[in-house]
Amino acid sequence: MSHVTTHEHDVIIIGGGGAGLRAAIAIAEENPDFSVACVSKVYPMRSHTVTAEGGAAAVIKDHDSLEDHIYDTISGADWLADQDAVEYFVNRAPREMIQLEHWGCPWSRKPDGTVAVRPFGGMKIERTWFAADKTGFHMLHSLFQTTLKYGNIVRYDEHFATKLLLDDEGRCRGCAAIELRTGTVRAVLGKSVIICTGGAGKAFPFTTNGAIKTGDGMAMAYQAGVALKDMEFIQYHPTGLPGTGILITEASRGEGGILVNKDGHRYLQDYDLGQPLDVNDPRHPQKRAMELGPRDKLSQCFIKEKNAGRTIRTRDGHVVHLDLRHLGEKKIDKRIPFVRELARSYAGIDPVHQPIPVRPVVHYVMGGIDVDSNSATNIPGLYAAGECACVSINGANRLGSNSLTELLVFGGQAGTHAARFAMDHPDYDVSALLAQAGDERDRIRRTYFSSPHKSGSERIAVIRKELHESMEDGAGIYRDADSLESTCTKIAELRERYANVALDDHTNSFNTELTAALELSSLLDVAQSMAHSAMQRTESRGSHQRLDHPERNDDDFLAHSLAYHQEDGSAPRIEYRPVTITKWPPGARTYGADSGLKRE
Amino acid sequence: MSGQYHRSHSRAWFMERPAYIRFMIRELTSFFMAAYLIVLIITLAKVGAGEAAAAEWLQALSGTGWKVAHAVALAAAVWHTITFFAAVPQAMPIYIGEDRLPAPIAKIVMGYGPWLTVTAVILWGVLR
Amino acid sequence: MPDNETITLELFRYHPETDSEPRFQSYDVPYDEDWVVLDAINWIKDYVDGSVTHRWSCRMGVCGSCGMMVNGEPKLTCAAFLKNYYPFPIKVEPLVNFPVERDLVVDMEGFMDKLQDVKPYIIRDDVNDTSGGEYRQSPAELAQYKQYSMCINCMLCYSACPVVGHEDEFLGPAALALGHRYNKDSRDQGQSERLEVMLSSEAMWGCTFVGECSVVCPKHVDPAGAIQQAKAMGAQEYFKRFVMPKGAGV
Repeated sequence: MSHVTTHEHDVIIIGGGGAGLRAAIAIAEENPDFSVACVSKVYPMRSHTVTAEGGAAAVIKDHDSLEDHIYDTISGADWLADQDAVEYFVNRAPREMIQLEHWGCPWSRKPDGTVAVRPFGGMKIERTWFAADKTGFHMLHSLFQTTLKYGNIVRYDEHFATKLLLDDEGRCRGCAAIELRTGTVRAVLGKSVIICTGGAGKAFPFTTNGAIKTGDGMAMAYQAGVALKDMEFIQYHPTGLPGTGILITEASRGEGGILVNKDGHRYLQDYDLGQPLDVNDPRHPQKRAMELGPRDKLSQCFIKEKNAGRTIRTRDGHVVHLDLRHLGEKKIDKRIPFVRELARSYAGIDPVHQPIPVRPVVHYVMGGIDVDSNSATNIPGLYAAGECACVSINGANRLGSNSLTELLVFGGQAGTHAARFAMDHPDYDVSALLAQAGDERDRIRRTYFSSPHKSGSERIAVIRKELHESMEDGAGIYRDADSLESTCTKIAELRERYANVALDDHTNSFNTELTAALELSSLLDVAQSMAHSAMQRTESRGSHQRLDHPERNDDDFLAHSLAYHQEDGSAPRIEYRPVTITKWPPGARTYGADSGLKRE
Repeated sequence: MSGQYHRSHSRAWFMERPAYIRFMIRELTSFFMAAYLIVLIITLAKVGAGEAAAAEWLQALSGTGWKVAHAVALAAAVWHTITFFAAVPQAMPIYIGEDRLPAPIAKIVMGYGPWLTVTAVILWGVLR
Repeated sequence: MPDNETITLELFRYHPETDSEPRFQSYDVPYDEDWVVLDAINWIKDYVDGSVTHRWSCRMGVCGSCGMMVNGEPKLTCAAFLKNYYPFPIKVEPLVNFPVERDLVVDMEGFMDKLQDVKPYIIRDDVNDTSGGEYRQSPAELAQYKQYSMCINCMLCYSACPVVGHEDEFLGPAALALGHRYNKDSRDQGQSERLEVMLSSEAMWGCTFVGECSVVCPKHVDPAGAIQQAKAMGAQEYFKRFVMPKGAGV
């Protein structure tokens, strides 16, 4: 980690997942003279987009309508989504999906050769495009392979970005990044920057998220002065495998799978999610009802069912059963083969013959870097897209299959706007930025390679584990003032102890213990914003359920929370900004029999 | 800083995995098949040279050594055929609509079936 | 099974700053029958030796990061269960046929270059225009290439292939299968351009059909089959160019 090297491009993208790659292609295609840098801590095809299974939503079929997609999204979000952004998203979605089809994504097809769609939770009409049950995998690889076509996309693979670099006018002009192979700090400079670093599910112990989802980009923007918006909204996916937290896609319910308790009873009917139809009824599965209710409600039902003593106790905690047996081997193998593969490998059961044990698992962060409907942050030249960003179209609860589409729509949009900014603001002072990168290199060396870190007594894994326990206990599916208070206190304690973390490894080459320490630092920042935002929101909405404030309160909280980082690391300042409501005034959020009937 | 570590390759790489040994055996079978073809060509030449030459050559081939060589060549040919047909479903997939013909059936349709048919026709022609 | 059972992992250790030769280091890890080899390595890194270096992310067999040699076999360590080795020690090494960066991490730059070489993207003569809706592709046409689109780039096949180890120019199983995937895609028109690359010298013809790539592939991609099909396509293309040197386009 001796010297800082300088690398200049036009637009810098941090993150090589779905959103980052889509942004890169948008810029490369619209501006052939531009040089686009993609800085990613892993090779792009390792990005977490790869694990998405079920599909991506966009209106394509004649019996569907943009209006329905908008309403499903807004009501699914418990009216916390900005309606202008949702409209843009839904209108833009079909074109983006067709574009990805043109780039080679192997969408599953109908016999006539058009793309096939399936229903997902909270949808009035089926509109989820899918590539069997490896949709994210195919989308990511199609995007990645398409980027190889463009000579003006330069990849910085396995480069860990640690700090945003701002010029004298306060414009974002690049990042400092550690090249993992050598430990060299690089100043990757450009005229604008897009953060596409994904979510932060790793703040929790039990998550579908991969090891890399540690909120680095969120923390970087937060530290630079951008608010983290709506961080109290954490999505629990209702069907993860116990023990590992491996995701069993919602598509398994979209194809007709059912959830039953220990008595074999389809318990969702007891919680205002409609009445079940027989699995052989041609109208099963009913949309916006029962197993195709939204994720927040299904996960909450699990907790209620568990508290009523009707779940199944296993070595890895309580579970319910996801029963797919009636679908038959042929349909399972054609439509959801990965579900079968995962259940066999990691749960030791074959869903053709046995029900799959499942429980809710942390899946997605609705909140993120505060951006406007142009994907721009309050720092000029800094943009964000994908799970790390909060536009917000997801509000208090994201609908299944909107997130993959979001990567495309807002990844592309962020690329276009960042390129425009780069054209309008071409000049910056390299030396000032280089000096900042040098300071960052010194900070890293001082913080992690010299005392107290060198001789400290805390282990990364221990602090991480305590953070996990505290987040699960205090900021899980149901929270209250007491539980959140103790989590906030715990996080403050862990932040102090973090200063004494000891590394075993003080070398430069591929120091993954250093990156683990940096990731833990990000997680502590992000978790702090989650817990404090949750503490301040004294209402229940979507995925944020306060036992001490069980009702939605539109008078005070039809607003986005904005958490601002404090220099001394103390509790963030929380502000609120009203939600943009255009045509869809807040209404009762109903699923089941009157599902979707409450609309204007 | 000594940089990347490059592992060296053993000259006896084919001993590293059982599959590599099987691969080498498969490749070696071609040697026996080639050798047998040479014998066959000589035989044809001798037959062409007249009855006496052919008889003399056949007499020579009836020795124990030649019998063993023929048995080995036959075994090699059979093994080569089996491995060849085993590869057929991979190298020449057949689709019926969106379903791929299962390997055991593809082996019969594309391999053993035509082979046995041709063999039967030849035998019928020769033995008739 | 008693609670305090352990299992031994022998990890390949190599540090580019200090070592000229690798060594093996043994660690005793608590035995849990639900654990995979990756869990054991993570436990070592978390609680015993933070300097142990490896790649991983999804832990569900789809990101392709955690391929290593487990007792001499190329495996995704997230799919290699301890219970299949217990009570014997497990030897973990970096994937063979790649230079080692550090410990269990290999240099995959060469692999990335080979992926790019086969032009793994849709090539078409017409202008990209989404207004006409999706290209039609029947389920039967999709089936023609679907299997070859399932590669997660885990590189296990490169470690199983003796040709990769001996012939630098050989593009290798995953890259060739990917090229074939696009050649078989009914939406693509770039077959001729792609075969141009694949036909050159040892790029594809280096394959002697050992077949181990398909055996070790965790996603059943069957690169060996893809390469034999590509060879047949390539031979046709070659013949076409031979008889019609000017009109060689497909």
